[in-house]
Amino acid sequence: MDKFKIVVGYLYGDLMNIYGDTGNIIALKKRAEWRGIEVVVKNISIGDRIPTRQVGTQIDLYFFGGGQDQQQALVAKDLQKKAKVIRAEIERGVPLLSVCGGYQLLGDFYKPHKGPKLPGIGLFPAYTLASYDRMIGNIVVNSMFGDLVGFENHSGKTHLKKGTVSLGMVKKGFGNNGKDKTEGCMYKNAIGCYMHGSLLPKNPKLADWLLKKALEIKYGKKIELVPLNDSLERQAHNVAFKRFS
Amino acid sequence: MKSLLAILLGKTIAVVTRGLKFGGGSAAPGLYALKLDPQIVKKLASKIPINVVITGTNGKTTTARIIAHFAKNAGLKVIRNHTGSNLERGIASALIHNSSFINHKSCDLGIWELDEAAFNIVAPKINPDLVVFLNVFRDQLDRYGEVDSVVKGWVETLKRLPKKTIVLVNGDDANTLRLSKSFKGRIQKFGVKDYKIVGEGIEKKREKENLDFEAKNVKLKGLSGSRFQLTINNELLTINLPIPGIYHIYDALAAIACAKFIFTDPLTHRPTDLQILSDSLKSFQPAFGRVEKLDFGYIFLIKNPAGATQVFQTIAPQIKKEDRLLLALNDNLADGTDVSWIWDAGFEKLLTPSLRDHKVAKQSIYVSGTRAYDLTVRLKYAGFDPKNITIEPKLDQALKQARKGLKGTLYILPTYTAMLEVQSILTKSGIKKNYWEENG
Repeated sequence: MDKFKIVVGYLYGDLMNIYGDTGNIIALKKRAEWRGIEVVVKNISIGDRIPTRQVGTQIDLYFFGGGQDQQQALVAKDLQKKAKVIRAEIERGVPLLSVCGGYQLLGDFYKPHKGPKLPGIGLFPAYTLASYDRMIGNIVVNSMFGDLVGFENHSGKTHLKKGTVSLGMVKKGFGNNGKDKTEGCMYKNAIGCYMHGSLLPKNPKLADWLLKKALEIKYGKKIELVPLNDSLERQAHNVAFKRFS
Repeated sequence: MKSLLAILLGKTIAVVTRGLKFGGGSAAPGLYALKLDPQIVKKLASKIPINVVITGTNGKTTTARIIAHFAKNAGLKVIRNHTGSNLERGIASALIHNSSFINHKSCDLGIWELDEAAFNIVAPKINPDLVVFLNVFRDQLDRYGEVDSVVKGWVETLKRLPKKTIVLVNGDDANTLRLSKSFKGRIQKFGVKDYKIVGEGIEKKREKENLDFEAKNVKLKGLSGSRFQLTINNELLTINLPIPGIYHIYDALAAIACAKFIFTDPLTHRPTDLQILSDSLKSFQPAFGRVEKLDFGYIFLIKNPAGATQVFQTIAPQIKKEDRLLLALNDNLADGTDVSWIWDAGFEKLLTPSLRDHKVAKQSIYVSGTRAYDLTVRLKYAGFDPKNITIEPKLDQALKQARKGLKGTLYILPTYTAMLEVQSILTKSGIKKNYWEENG
């Protein structure tokens, strides 16, 4: 496996990096490097073209974090120009993880308290409405990756359209909207969620799933990742789990 | 009548809590007095001749302490809120403590530290003569919100302050610099030549910013402090600051600028001579837990990405192979319940060559606190070898283990409530006094 290489596309990493999101990038990078897989992180910001097979190095895995209101509005506008490429890449099976603001912008739209809807790019069949509730605190979600633990902090309420697959069901916390017990969204290998805190270091199974999918799509074959010693990660996960569930 | 009752109630609670050893009575008296008379801060603060308000994410306590130190050396009587109680209740407690029932005791100067959110509520009530904006970083997002909304709140509050107020802003922090356009009165900028504050750290800058109080020729002297030069009105002076790190130079500059504006020489009635301030700094001692020297090591408070990263930058060059680290992460309310900030702090900067060397670093790192495992995972992903890390969530045990067989220096890096715990452990073992007795 020593020749493998992954290019991570950090969408608007300079603008959307609140709430310890950078920890997710660190986790992906380290968990790949510990297995001898080289990782390059490319920041893709406003005005940048997403590299595709036709124009340079392909992106093998996308990450999209949360941001402040002002930055988010700028990003929403620019994202429309990248919409076509991102949707095509996800259809191709490229994995993506988006958290909070990034998740909201990848849905159909975001409706603020005042003013017009902020259009998303319709990747996730979901939409978000501003609310006056601050959904904040530790969260535990039952998912296909086992129990995921994180910390949520959002006021937007996301509603999944009929037939949409959620990332999992809330055991403790609010999740998408605080009502229907769903948390996050999955479409192909793209994931959206409200869990930061940081998500991947404490949920190594999810981190490895993203890496595995990235390699499988890139190299076009089945990949089994070398197992790592995750006892510390598991203990951090368990402490969080016990403290909040 | 209402305020008299409020003062009486506050004083009673202070006596009771101190008597029962609940703590220093730094918040509860004010909390209940405010319920009885919501205007108590405004009423009592108006009786103090000069009031200074300090806000920002990092450095409030140190800045307040330096100003208080200058004031005392100049023979002024100071009143201030203590021990990090920087909400309205903390201010009210201090005012009540100092108040007699008929007249306010004669005070010359009020120094008030306010956290980012409390500033907007309390500053207009205090009606300050001078305001200091130190910096703004990502801090407890669960409490203060995002940096942009903090700055927006300050802009609105500045509009409500009287024009006679002097406003000091950190000219190297783009966020506080933004404030200089939104105030009609006098704005003064302080900063360090060639440096600017970027993200969570301090970096070299290229462009030139016009600063009114500019530290030049900075020389860092390890953990013993720093030296820099300052020119004010053609007067050049070399300042020896007995606390380490560039970040403390900003606190000292703010305090010097403040003293320059509000202190007058009692004989000549002219602004205080810079030389007097510089001499006075030599005897300054930092606030509890901020940078605290112990017999066997140091305590450096870490509480948010910016502050922690600056601490790492300061101590990393000093760590020798026989030294040890004790890091403690709690997630109590006063620490912030969201521990994700550790992923934005540059723990990679702590990984010195000796800590990277597996043989040397053996048994050199101790991790404690309610979220010890989260912190250990962070260290692992920063490149530390987990084999060298001893995890002990109980702080008293961790401290005992870290001190056992210690040949060099122990660097203790706790979050806020972990720091209080360390203080209490050291007090019990007779190494330290109670922290509320220590504040002066």
